[in-house]
Amino acid sequence: MPDQHIMRAFDRDLEAIQAKIMKMGGLVEAAIHESAKSLNKRDDELAARVREADKLIDALEEEVNHDAAQVLALRQPIAGDLRTVLSVMKISGNLERVGDYAKNLAKRTAVLVQMPAIEGASGAIKRMAREVERMLKDVLDAYVHQDVALAEDVRARDHEVDQMYNALFREFLTFMMEDPRNITACMHLHFIAKNIERMGDHVTSIAEQVIYLVTGELPNDERAKLDYIAESQEAED
Amino acid sequence: MNDIKVSARDVQVWYADNHAIKDVSVEIEDKTVTAFIGPSGCGKSTFLRCINRMNDTIDICRVEGDILLDGEDIYDPQVDPVQLRAKVGMVFQKPNPFPKSIYDNVAYGPRIHGLASGRSELDAVVEKSLRRAALWDEVKDRLNASGTGLSGGQQQRLCIARAVATEPEVLLMDEPASALDPIATAQIEELIDELREKFAVVIVTHSMQQAARVSQKTAFFHLGNLVEYGETSQIFTNPVDPRTESYITGRIG
Repeated sequence: MPDQHIMRAFDRDLEAIQAKIMKMGGLVEAAIHESAKSLNKRDDELAARVREADKLIDALEEEVNHDAAQVLALRQPIAGDLRTVLSVMKISGNLERVGDYAKNLAKRTAVLVQMPAIEGASGAIKRMAREVERMLKDVLDAYVHQDVALAEDVRARDHEVDQMYNALFREFLTFMMEDPRNITACMHLHFIAKNIERMGDHVTSIAEQVIYLVTGELPNDERAKLDYIAESQEAED
Repeated sequence: MNDIKVSARDVQVWYADNHAIKDVSVEIEDKTVTAFIGPSGCGKSTFLRCINRMNDTIDICRVEGDILLDGEDIYDPQVDPVQLRAKVGMVFQKPNPFPKSIYDNVAYGPRIHGLASGRSELDAVVEKSLRRAALWDEVKDRLNASGTGLSGGQQQRLCIARAVATEPEVLLMDEPASALDPIATAQIEELIDELREKFAVVIVTHSMQQAARVSQKTAFFHLGNLVEYGETSQIFTNPVDPRTESYITGRIG
């Protein structure tokens, strides 16, 4: 299929929205990276910058939604064009959520730096965050290049993030049993780990949008859930 | 799925040396609106006109292959084209009421086909047809006024009333709303949706949105070929053939 619309302004509108998605993606990648780094380095100032930068991400999401509504109203996109607009709306929502989780991580960092460090925990969280950051980078590449295979790969990797979360969950339990004075810090660290695990879910959802955008169908196989923790927790997700 | 009303098999059409329709096979369902879309000159109107033998009137036009209406070959020498056209009605792009009264426009078909005996029966047919075309309330007090004095949208609905007056089984519409304003267009589209309860409706349209709004099935023609035929909802969200996607999304193709 030719890339260009007869009406060039339509292409310009779509390109402008995609550019905003990529800009958002870049900011969210940085937010994950910096927030995990602030925790690892116990850097309160860096954490404050992450919290501040989230406003930009939120503003971009609003812009994307506004632009998408304009294209729907003025250009009446159909077929692949319609899927492009629908997917940018969902993807921007996913990115905004990931940004919020990074901001939450930075907030908890500000609390955690006031307490004694939990041995090894921030390193494990940093590794988990790095994996999600890589997944996000790859899914944005998959989006730009309409690469279904890469999107599938990202979906599969969410499994690893789930595993890392489960391992951390067990580890935090032992710390808390060892010494009740660790409970406050471990509760914060647990929320952080859970939030990173949720970031992975949002990145997976973006991967599914890429597959929908290219093929017209969402993948319908259920991803194997690797959450050994009580099912009641599933229900709240 | 509905019953098959019109079945075309390996249809070829030539205008002298110009091969206008190439090997088109399609099954048109009863009680369904089927939209024919495609760029100008793709053969969609030519194919539409084959379904009630309108091409018979063009000397250089040659039709091959089979077109069956309820399993009967409409090109059989035994078939009278005039009778066929009572069963397969047609509405054109430009409203073309006869220069007669509103009443006589609608009564014309039933009269020549002897479908009504006596004035009161004819009155009933005229009223029913005008009601079906959603025109009755606007014209009931001036049935003897000239049909050509109506507005464009009213004239087109008058033509639809005229077409449905002979109780056709299939209604062919060649861009019926392209000369109308958005209100009249919406009225015609609403009408098409209601007519679907009784007939098979086949509509040729250049408006993608119109095809998407009114039809359940869509056929995309290109260079005389039927490229893709399927559920409208699927054609407009996820077409199979890249040529269909290029056309409906307005890309150079």
